[in-house]
Amino acid sequence: MAVLRELVVFPSKCFRGVRSYFFSAPLFQNGSLKLNESVSKDGHALDFEQSDTKKMSKAMKSYMERAKIHDNFIKQQLHEYNIGKRHLANMMGKDPEFFTQTDVDEAIRYLFPSGLFDPRARPMMKHPDEIYPKRKAAEFDVNGRPYHSLFYTSKPNYYTLMHDLAVKFKQLDRHEDKIISRGIQNQKPTELFLFGSEWIPKQKIENVLLESLTDAQYVNLIKTFERFSQHPYSVIEKDFIMQFRRQLAAQVEIQQVPELMRDESGRPYMTYNARRKTSNATVKVIGQGTGVISINETDIHFFQREQDKKQIIFPLQFSDMLGKVDVVATVDGCGTSAQSGAIRLGISMCLRSFVNAETIERMRLAGLLSFDPRTRERKKPGQAGARKKFTWKKR
Amino acid sequence: MIRTIANRFKWNAARYFTQTCSINSDASLCQNAASLKVDQLADIKESELKEISDPLKFPDYFGVRKLFRIKDLFDARIHYGHTNGTLDPNMKPYIFGSRLGHLIFDLDKTAEMLQDALNFTAHIAYRGGIILFVSHCPQHTLTVENAAKQAGEYAHAREWDFHIFTNSEKVYNGVTRLPDLVILLSTLNPQMQEHTAVKDAAKMCIPTIGIVDSNSNPNLITYPIPGNDDSPAAVQLYCNLFRDAILLGKSKKPMEVY
Repeated sequence: MAVLRELVVFPSKCFRGVRSYFFSAPLFQNGSLKLNESVSKDGHALDFEQSDTKKMSKAMKSYMERAKIHDNFIKQQLHEYNIGKRHLANMMGKDPEFFTQTDVDEAIRYLFPSGLFDPRARPMMKHPDEIYPKRKAAEFDVNGRPYHSLFYTSKPNYYTLMHDLAVKFKQLDRHEDKIISRGIQNQKPTELFLFGSEWIPKQKIENVLLESLTDAQYVNLIKTFERFSQHPYSVIEKDFIMQFRRQLAAQVEIQQVPELMRDESGRPYMTYNARRKTSNATVKVIGQGTGVISINETDIHFFQREQDKKQIIFPLQFSDMLGKVDVVATVDGCGTSAQSGAIRLGISMCLRSFVNAETIERMRLAGLLSFDPRTRERKKPGQAGARKKFTWKKR
Repeated sequence: MIRTIANRFKWNAARYFTQTCSINSDASLCQNAASLKVDQLADIKESELKEISDPLKFPDYFGVRKLFRIKDLFDARIHYGHTNGTLDPNMKPYIFGSRLGHLIFDLDKTAEMLQDALNFTAHIAYRGGIILFVSHCPQHTLTVENAAKQAGEYAHAREWDFHIFTNSEKVYNGVTRLPDLVILLSTLNPQMQEHTAVKDAAKMCIPTIGIVDSNSNPNLITYPIPGNDDSPAAVQLYCNLFRDAILLGKSKKPMEVY
């Protein structure tokens, strides 16, 4: 490739611009500099060092054009939005100066009632910034040199994230080495508690990074994060990791656990009205107790069957409160199974006030805190029962 | 031409007179570069004014030959090639021989070609060219990206998208300036095939510098450097050398002609 090597020595001005316009093409021009002139004149290298920051690279020029078009478009949209807001205010008889976005939404809903199901399909009028996605700012300077070191990967933000993870991994390793070298053998690092949250989905990461990812790239990212959070000292980077986690719905819906009440003798207690099928149970769990269970003024033998008694005992056994609390319950309606189920739910709900958050979470996972919505299914006409069909005859 | 400069340095002489640099550490070479610049300025003031305008007239304007010695290459295990059977015929001239079934590179030849490549890099950096470090080996991604960042240049040490050079308008959403030099830390991808960047850079007339191992083909690469591309120590050395050459190139302010 001797020829190519000869071509390599050239003044930078000729190639400031797009590589794809090879300089032998007659149509190529860079500003006022004509290529024929530069090469043929003297034969030796030009005085290329007259720094020409006024002359922009083709890349920058093209970006500026696109940015201008986009800015004008957004300006136009903003202008129309503001005018529209004032019109709406006049129509609704409100003050245009103090017409907020909520007023706009209400006005649209009133003036353009829509029967469409999906809220995103209904007419709306929002600020252009909320409708049109944000674009990345200029990624290179006037000479065409990109700002970001990983620009040529075409996904600089994504790969920066991967790079940072690798760097942090090394830092954690060094931290671990330091701890070991100091001989602090017994110190076990606190574990990173990721329970109750999940990795944010692909769409959210794309919105954060302003780059689209392939599925493989997203999976790779999550795998890297998983490996990172499994490091024994990952708790040091907890804040960084939690930025990429979102709480699961169950955690978000946590109901406020009611405070314990005190009766005349000063003992703490909690009450709850629980249902199962059509039976209702009113349960009172009293702390500082000895494990006395009273159901409709009789003891646990109110239920003759073994399984019903086990249902009553289970929440107490699970939360380790078996001989520590007293239970007073009244129940009516339906049958034994439903009654025992109602009392079980009542006891569990009352015990929330007595135990710690971890045990509440375990109880929730065990299904003790969930209302059982199952009821008797109705019989349908043309059938013998709810599901049972009449004998099928072939002919 | 850079490669046909009359004054070929003699390695024997250079070995005694080169100053040692902290090559294997990550410390920035800027201090060394500054001190070298002072020495060079002293030399330059002696030559004629006409000569000042053209760095190309000097065989080693930036002093890149002082960046390494053959012993440093040896210590970084750059002379280790792959096994006898994997030798690419085009690499035969650069092989010293083989030992216990493993090929050994001729470090004299490697050093000469490395010096040419570093000189070229420094010249490109001096003129504000965009330099792209490319590697596909996941083991060395962090090293390469760090070196590029320290040099103020660019890196692509990830999975290569085929359209980066040839269909750049689509990939970057608009007209972009492509690199003026591509430095390949390894010319093979993990599937042991030639890296796409070699072919694409040649298509787009972008000069390349590449570390070619004994199983790679150096034909399409402008400045091949025969040597080991697999050891982390070797890759670290290459990254440091290229980074230092770039910083040397940038440290010299382009001089005006009046």
